[in-house]
This record gives sequence, structure tokens and C-alpha cells, in this order.
Amino acid sequence: MGDEVRNNLKYTDSHEWLKIDDKIAKVGITDHAQSELTDIVFVELPEVGKEVKKGEELCVVESVKSVSEIYAPVTGRIANINKKLEDAPETINESPYDEGWLVEIEIEDESEVKKLLDAEDYKRMI
Amino acid sequence: MIGMIYVLSKSLNYSLAFTRKISMSIKSPIYLLHKELGARFTEFAGFEMPIQYTSIKDEHLTVRKTVGLFDVSHMSNVWITGENAEDLLTLTTVEDASKIKDCMSQYTAILRDDGTVIDDTIFMHLGKKYMIIPNAGMADQVTKWLNEKAEENEISATAENVSNDFIILAVQGPKSRETLQKLTKTDLKTVGFFGCQYVDIAGINCIISHTGYTGELGFELQITPTNLAEDVFRKILEAGKEFGIKPIGLGARDTLRLEKSFILAGNEFKGGRTPLEAVMSWTINWDHDFIGKDSLLKQKEKGDYQRLTNLICIDKGIPRPGCEIKKDGKKIGTVTSGTLSPCLNVGIAMGYVHPNFREKESILEIIIRDKPVKAKVVKPPIVPKDWLQQN
Repeated sequence: MGDEVRNNLKYTDSHEWLKIDDKIAKVGITDHAQSELTDIVFVELPEVGKEVKKGEELCVVESVKSVSEIYAPVTGRIANINKKLEDAPETINESPYDEGWLVEIEIEDESEVKKLLDAEDYKRMI
Repeated sequence: MIGMIYVLSKSLNYSLAFTRKISMSIKSPIYLLHKELGARFTEFAGFEMPIQYTSIKDEHLTVRKTVGLFDVSHMSNVWITGENAEDLLTLTTVEDASKIKDCMSQYTAILRDDGTVIDDTIFMHLGKKYMIIPNAGMADQVTKWLNEKAEENEISATAENVSNDFIILAVQGPKSRETLQKLTKTDLKTVGFFGCQYVDIAGINCIISHTGYTGELGFELQITPTNLAEDVFRKILEAGKEFGIKPIGLGARDTLRLEKSFILAGNEFKGGRTPLEAVMSWTINWDHDFIGKDSLLKQKEKGDYQRLTNLICIDKGIPRPGCEIKKDGKKIGTVTSGTLSPCLNVGIAMGYVHPNFREKESILEIIIRDKPVKAKVVKPPIVPKDWLQQN
């Protein structure tokens, strides 16, 4: 565990990853982010249907000693949330790219996707 | 002054950078050893100290279940010497120092004239001298205060800040005595609760006290000169290997103390609080004169003051310092310390509220990011002594 960066994902400079599937972006935090935070103990997710704007607060991830706001990497409507995290927030530590996803956003403006980082950019950043 | 060891409502980038963004702080004399052991560092009260090595939860449970080793050299060391050292402590603390026998230590508080706490500390009676352990970053202020009071009251005693000469290691947990016993010929069972004495241990002579900040069986070692500490640290890790000993950072130190309802000066005394408000009246010896006593007596008589109150969350959510405490929608107090309890796996907190609201089992609301989270008032300690037996 530590710094896995997956090639098929998009990234932000604030350590979110996105898996783009047509108009849906599945969003999570990167392996690097979870390993630095350690012990994720609480996740506050938005409600399904909520409209979020790129750069605004999407959800909150807490470790024992930190409270981190996760920003929406794209604008759109919350299509789905990972309810499992409410009872098992540690899933983000265990499986940041698979079981530990946060939300799915219905992308409003596809041009925002083009501005995201690819795996190589993100690797250079961390 | 006293730093905070958590990051509140910041971006993920900020949280990640927090452990790396350290400047102009004092490093522990065994900083490189911590690095070798994989520590992540944080700044606390001007000191760069390990916040964690593996994870806070893991380290926390290690101390509750077996044994952990802490470097707490951010804490201060002050010698009180002179013919009337005892009188100086009796005047400047809520304890009558003449009642504390040689080779015993005492948890106490140093007050201003208005009764508010300057610092809480342990003093150790070591023959003709006393050593006090002020909080991180408090040594200069406390030393100055004590010397001023000695002079004003013509007490023949001197306080000397020797923090830089000492490193403090804490060995805490049910297996702490067995671990340390391997390193000394002194029968550590003879060092009773709050006992303190010089001991030959791990090849050096140092002060040992049966004290701690975790609520578990534990000992603290005052080691000088500090260049001896690395070898002692390694020997303790080796001795505790069979019990699964781990080095423990300040993150777990904070969660361990909060579960036992112990005060963190920088949080619970912030803004000026008296020992009555902090529910430390058990430490006050009323049968002697001390600075702040008149103010405390007046406050006691009036009775109408907020008291530190322990809370366990019923709803999901983690209270943090600064969160409002409400009853029926009306603000009644503020959280001074809050965290997730690694033992209970729920949010826990302390904060000051009026006696009307702190009956055991009362339900209050803690406001976390604008949402009320229900919490129940409990008696200290938040995590009971028999937690391990029950789990």
C-alpha cells in the first residue's frame, strides 16, 4: 500500500481520482492520499440528487486526527453514493480504487474532464 | 503556545501537507531514531514530535492491550531547590507539599491569583529537591512565576528550567512493568502508584515514576544527559518485543488521555479555567494557603459555574474542539477536546457546561458541520478501567 496510481483513471491535484464511464464519473481518493491520512474513521457523504459544482465541497473524510474536505472534481448531480462507507469508512484504506469509492457524479460539462490529470501527471506530482 | 495535534476542516491537500510542513521547531534528541522507526512528525507547542508510526488506532490499542513506548521530551523539566523548596510548592500549587513524602509524586495545578490555571503538572519529591514537569512550552513561564513568588514571599528556593538536559520516555500499558523489569534489578513492584525514585535501568541511572497519561499501568523515565536516551529507547523496545511493544506517537497519546478524561492543558485550560471548573477539586488541599485559594473559595460558594463534562456520541460523527454544545437548540457550551474513541469506536468529547445540563445520562447535542449529533453525558473516565477485560 502507498503510492499506486492506476493508468485507466483521471486525477486531480487535490488527490481525487475519477473513473469516467460515459456521462458518469466515479470518484474516490487516491492510494497516496489514504496512506498519508491512515485510519479513515468517518465519511460524510452528500445526498443523492444534490447538484455539486467543481471545486466545491463534495464530502468530508476524517481520520482520527484530521478532517479533510473533498472537493467535487467535476460539476454535476450526485447519482450514487457508496453507502458502505457509512459503516465501514476503513474501506477507503483497504481498497481506495475499488470498494472505497465515494460518489458517482452525472457529469454536466464534459469539457471539465479534459482538464483533469492523467496517471503520468499525477505520478509526477506525488 | 500549546499546539493542536489535529487538522480541522481543511482541504485534503492541507491535511496531507500538515505532517511535512514543519519549521523552526525543536527536535527531540532522538529524532533520527524516530525517523528510522518510520515516524511521521507533527509540530506540537514548538516541538517536532512523532504523531504516529503505524496508525493512531493501532498504537492506541497496543497501549490498552499490551505496552507502548513514548518519547515525551516535549514536556518540561524544572528543578525546585533550596532550603524552602517545599514551602514554595505549597504556596504556588493546590497541594500542601509537606504531605507528599520523599519518593512520592503528586498531580497538581499552579494557579494565578484569580484562581485560573497557569499549568497542571506533576511534582516529584526526590530527597531535598523537587522536580516538576510543566507542559510543553510552559517551562519558562512556570519557572519565572515560581521564582517571582519565591522572591515576593522571601522563600529560600529557586526554580531552574532544565528541560534541555532531560528526555522523558513513557512506558505504558498492562505489560509495561514486565518490560521494564527485565532492564533493572530494582523490584518495580516496590515503586507504588505515583512513587518516584532514582533507579539503575537499561545501563543508566535515571528517575523513574509510576505515572502516566494513558490510564494504564505505566512508568515514566527522566533521563539525563539526553545522549543516553537512544540506547535506552532501543533496549526498551527489545525488552518489550515478546509483548508486541510499539513506539507510540502523540496522536495516540491524545486519544488515550481523552478516553480516560484526562485534561490537556492547551485545550481544557484555554481562555482561563479554574480547577473547580475543570473538575479537579480532588487535587485541591484546602487546609493550606495557596495562590488563588481566595478566588476558588468565592467561586465554590457561588457555585454557579460551568464544569468540564464528558460526552459519548449516540449518533454518528466525531466532535472536534470548537464544536458547539446545545440543549434543546440553545447553546450551552463548547467542545474543548473531541475525537473518535479507538476503544469504543464512537465520537467522544469533553466540554464545559452548566451543572443544570450535566446530570449523568442527559442527552445533549454537539453541532458538527451544522448538524446536531446527539451525545450522552457520562461520568469520567469515558472508557472504564475494565474495558480490556470486557473486550
